Amino acid sequence: MIKELLVKEELPKDLEQGAVILEFYSKTCGPCKMLGFILKDMDKTYGDKIKIITVDFEANPDLVAQYKIEGYPTMIMFKDGQELSRKTGLQPKPVIAKMIEEAI
Amino acid sequence: MENRVRYRFYEHLITRQAKSEAAMLKEFAQGDYTMENPLIKYNPYFVNNLAAVMLFRTEEEVAVTIRVVGKTKEADISHTFPRAKEHVIPILGLYSNYDNKIEVYPYQQYSKKCVHTITTPKVAGADLVKSMETTPEYLQDNVIFLCPAVNDLAIAVDYAGDVRLNFTVPMVWDIKRLPNGNLMLGSERLLKMPYFVSGIYEMSAVGKIYREYRLPHGYHHDQVCLPNGDIVALGSDFDNGTVEDTCLVIDKETGHVKRTIYFKNFLKPGSQKSGSWSDEDWFHCNAVWYDEASNSLTFSGRHINAMVNIDFDTEKLNWIISDPDRWPEEYQKYMFKIVGDGDFDWQYEQHANLITPLGDVMCFDNHHYGAQDPARYLAPNDSFSRGVKYRIDVDKMEIEQLWQYGKERGKDFFSPYICNVIYWNEGYYLTHSGGIAFDGEGNASAELGPFAQLDDPSVTLESITVETINDEKVLELTVHSNYYRANKFTLYAKEPGQNNLTLGAGQLLGRLGETPQMEIEIPAEDTGELIPARNEVRVSDELDMLTFEAKFEKGQLVMLLLESEKETRRYFISTAKGKRGAMCTGTFLPEDDRDTRTVITKDGLDGDYRISVIIDDKKYDTGVTIKA
Repeated sequence: MIKELLVKEELPKDLEQGAVILEFYSKTCGPCKMLGFILKDMDKTYGDKIKIITVDFEANPDLVAQYKIEGYPTMIMFKDGQELSRKTGLQPKPVIAKMIEEAI
Repeated sequence: MENRVRYRFYEHLITRQAKSEAAMLKEFAQGDYTMENPLIKYNPYFVNNLAAVMLFRTEEEVAVTIRVVGKTKEADISHTFPRAKEHVIPILGLYSNYDNKIEVYPYQQYSKKCVHTITTPKVAGADLVKSMETTPEYLQDNVIFLCPAVNDLAIAVDYAGDVRLNFTVPMVWDIKRLPNGNLMLGSERLLKMPYFVSGIYEMSAVGKIYREYRLPHGYHHDQVCLPNGDIVALGSDFDNGTVEDTCLVIDKETGHVKRTIYFKNFLKPGSQKSGSWSDEDWFHCNAVWYDEASNSLTFSGRHINAMVNIDFDTEKLNWIISDPDRWPEEYQKYMFKIVGDGDFDWQYEQHANLITPLGDVMCFDNHHYGAQDPARYLAPNDSFSRGVKYRIDVDKMEIEQLWQYGKERGKDFFSPYICNVIYWNEGYYLTHSGGIAFDGEGNASAELGPFAQLDDPSVTLESITVETINDEKVLELTVHSNYYRANKFTLYAKEPGQNNLTLGAGQLLGRLGETPQMEIEIPAEDTGELIPARNEVRVSDELDMLTFEAKFEKGQLVMLLLESEKETRRYFISTAKGKRGAMCTGTFLPEDDRDTRTVITKDGLDGDYRISVIIDDKKYDTGVTIKA
């Protein structure tokens, strides 16, 4: 399942359980647009095992600071609330798949 | 429809050189060339425009001496070539913009000398030297060779500060001389921005390339030759989405990768983070050293502020030289405790580590940021850079600082990136601070040289190379540019049996590896049109790769498509803004940040491929078809 973060207060609860990719993106970023297509594709394969939450980098400076995001796109892989890994920049499908496999 | 795409097929330098050499030898075979009337070919290998080749025959088999007459007697460069009747002699050490006199005579028969003139044009590197302080007695016919870090290319400088070698091709990274006299230097063929090149050239100073050792997914920074001749070269773990965190053991004869060492197997990524750290470039290995006595490899990890030593066979971690602050507990047992009464500083974001014959460890300590804790980072004006030597006791895990040079010069010697040290003997060292940059007000620049140069026209770059013997300075070379590393050697390889020029076509060894695809289809309307002229597309085709260059607006979604009858391959073109924390050679950086450069290797391709491009939601043709 992919969802855009709309209510910040819900994020801690969303991250609490299971495998979650938190993706910070910008609407003005080519690699972010590309990553959006890849995450949709990942969702087809792993949608029943992971959640993907996308966060607008510009609209959420507090979350950017909280999660120490230095650039976009950035993906953070969470498992039961714990950060397992993070990747900055566009990543090819196999790298993202590996990141997910390590979390589920 | 007007074709707005510029297409060109580029022959590999090895191929171009083979053709040029064959033409030169054909001309030689057809003429009556003697010592008095030789055939002289200026820069026949296109690489060193302060070099030439002289060809002639003698009736008897004789050894021949040539002398490139210096501007002073001490600046002469001479060499004697083995006995032969047909002489094909590289002429090295010409001056720029000068009527160079070349004396040639049978060995030890100076009275029979013939003098020829080679007139050279002014070369690009001729005015880069600011000063050279040394003596001809000290430097003799050695030159200081400087490898590029920005868009000034490799040069070599003699005792008088004159440039005697000037490369016209952006060959980058460290240069080393092999036991056979040949030089090893990174190729000019950019495989991935900002500086991953296709491989390593084995070549002569005249510019002739004998081999390109191609590396899967590119080569960067450094290589070292093992006692059996194999090469250990630095690479990247592209399958993991990271860079500069592997090394490859390359078979000297075949170029095949015998083994890949993944740094994540002995060190957890993110265990330590220097000021320039990033997820992708978590280690940033800028040097590799093989120590025969301990059969170990030592890697310099700029982005972990550490020199890391592993066993060559088992790949197990032996030790880490780093400020222990903020390292996880599991690595503390590999760290050293400071002993001794003298001055001691840990190194930060260091380069060019090496092990001396006594087992001491040296490096260039850039001292960039100067702390593990971000709260204690040093500003560039308050920092320093230096060459440093540590003595380590691996039984007691103790470390003592034995020597340093450069700290006392403060910001004037501060390089936040690149640089090296060389051990010549005990107490005899070269220290090269090649990445100095000052802003218009004389402050040490917080930006790395290549970025600083692009962003601020008032920035000045400097490179300072110093040699010391028992702490006494015997040489200081200052150049108006940044240079990655320095080395010192004679232009001619002079040891018995060493090579200066071998005829015959060079070889392409190894593989470039298959360029990863995006494997995602982007919905796009096929316009049936050529890509707009404003994108300024250029396609450079080569035997084993193609380079697609174009201008795109930042933030556009761009995908390159290679379509054949059998398949469609998709490659993402990044239009992202942003600067890397490391830019060890900015030689390939574009001035316009809308310029993109994407390289696709031909590994895995088969047949004819039509090139098209998706920009956001529209697909455009380029009118170009390539063969693989």
